[in-house]
Amino acid sequence: MNASPLIHCHHLTKHYRKGKQQVTPLQALDLKVPRGEFLALMGPSGSGKTTLLNLIAGIDSPSEGELIIDGQDISQLSRGKLSRWRAQHVGYIFQLYHLIPVLSAYENVELPLLLDSFSGRERRERVELALRLVGLEDRMHHKPKELSGGQEQRVAIARALVADPPLLVADEPTGDLDRDAAASVLQLLQELSREHGKTIVMVTHDPKAAEAADRLLHLEKGKLLESEALPA
Amino acid sequence: MISQALRLSRLAGKQLLRHRLRSLLTLFGVAAGLFLFTAVSSLQRSLDKATRLEATDSTLVVYRENRFCPSTSRLPEFYEEEIRAIPGVREVIPIQITVNNCNASLDVISFRGVPPDQLARFAPELEIIDGSLSDWQARSDGALLGKYFASRRGLAVGDAFEAAGLKVQVSGILDSPEPQDNNVAYVQLPFLQQNSSSGLGTVTQFNVRVEAPEDLERVAKAIDQRFRAESEPTYTQPEKAFIANTAGELLSLAAFTRWIGLGAVLAVFALLGNTLLMVQRGRVKENAVLRTLGYPAPAILWLVLSEGALLGLSGGLSGVLGAMFMLQWRRISMGTEGIALTVESDPRILISGLLLALGLGLFASLWPAWIAMKRPVVESLRS
Repeated sequence: MNASPLIHCHHLTKHYRKGKQQVTPLQALDLKVPRGEFLALMGPSGSGKTTLLNLIAGIDSPSEGELIIDGQDISQLSRGKLSRWRAQHVGYIFQLYHLIPVLSAYENVELPLLLDSFSGRERRERVELALRLVGLEDRMHHKPKELSGGQEQRVAIARALVADPPLLVADEPTGDLDRDAAASVLQLLQELSREHGKTIVMVTHDPKAAEAADRLLHLEKGKLLESEALPA
Repeated sequence: MISQALRLSRLAGKQLLRHRLRSLLTLFGVAAGLFLFTAVSSLQRSLDKATRLEATDSTLVVYRENRFCPSTSRLPEFYEEEIRAIPGVREVIPIQITVNNCNASLDVISFRGVPPDQLARFAPELEIIDGSLSDWQARSDGALLGKYFASRRGLAVGDAFEAAGLKVQVSGILDSPEPQDNNVAYVQLPFLQQNSSSGLGTVTQFNVRVEAPEDLERVAKAIDQRFRAESEPTYTQPEKAFIANTAGELLSLAAFTRWIGLGAVLAVFALLGNTLLMVQRGRVKENAVLRTLGYPAPAILWLVLSEGALLGLSGGLSGVLGAMFMLQWRRISMGTEGIALTVESDPRILISGLLLALGLGLFASLWPAWIAMKRPVVESLRS
């Protein structure tokens, strides 16, 4: 694992208005995530873990503080630049996979590359490599409805990987899977972190899933409670 | 940039297959609207083509003054030589007209009786595409049919048919750059005169070709001046003005059909707008996922616009081609008082119909696209 932090949050605060009330899901949070680390975030509902994940993924903007990822303060980026940054630096894995049903596994994985200037051949090579990494090269022409939940999540992981981003964020990636499929997905995430150097931030409610990570952080009311290194 | 836009458009095309029935119904609605639009545009363009005076027009029609129907316009045949002597006149042909129906009709049969040896000289632009002119000249009851007339009635060379009290034999089929000629049956003048109540020596009108188009007005005045004191005074006007006056009721009807065309366009717009709004409402989360994958807001805008454009264009293509095929197949001709106007489509209508369909698709998708582009990502993911 490389010791220089990929993610550096400094006094990160997020608030928004809900009716007449101001809600602060995240308050003056400081956090460093080294490159290649697999970090799990746990906490009760409303603790701010998904808000933190969304900020790190660049789909939400902090109200205060700095959020430096791979040397760049993304809180300063415009919307357009943030989209481009996301395409190159982050792969997002959703709990419910969110694959487009009318597209095959191959076409779903290809989606992030459609806006790049890769040639057709380069795109094909990248998509096939990503599907091979998740063990689904023989299912590439299947539509999502022809795949099991675990396989759908693997396609979603391949989609997150295909642009080769240094950072993967996962919002309860095993929340909708049975025990075996969940174990298989967690093993895949571990491999991506350990063998391919991907930095992974995963939100989970499941202590078993959190055990797959290198480190576990607990959040409550928008603040970090404790940090716990987990055995390899 | 272009290849990226094309890739997104292809993705939009695949998304249309997602709800096949909804897409198909929308496509059908757009096709029906554009079918109507094309039919109305073709009618208007055909009437416009038949009645708009152009700088190169050189034909005058000499008619009995204050008469508007072929059965009441009776002019002495000897006027021909008098007209021919007027300076500026290049050629004259006397024409007797008999129709099966003097009122407005969708299937007028119009016989034009002309001297057999004069037709080719007066109208060298006529092309005999089947049969022969000499056969027609040799046979007193022979008829040269305009190609639209023949196709509408399913007649071929050698066939005999009866209409407006006349029984004739088809000697040839002709093609003419003048739509009027393609809609009538030319027969020999003596044959038609003998079979009509007016009898020999009387004709319905004279068609006159002038030396130069700029002579039209002067020659028309000279003709009417020459016969002003005769028992059968004349009223001479350019052929297209004559058609416009005679078919005035048809023109008023056609003007009204503009509203039908406009209604069809508005219906297509509303249908496309409604479908695209429904599609986008069901795709809030999916658009947010695409944004999360790094798709910028303009890419989402382009995706929705592409869907609208594809729906509009594919529905429009079906509707426009369907209408053109129907007009080609049925050869619809509107007629009144001996004037028959074929409703024809042309490439300009095809192009304008497709551009309209594309424009409607894009315009109807603007608002759904704007909403999809502006929706906050996090809020959409939670929805």
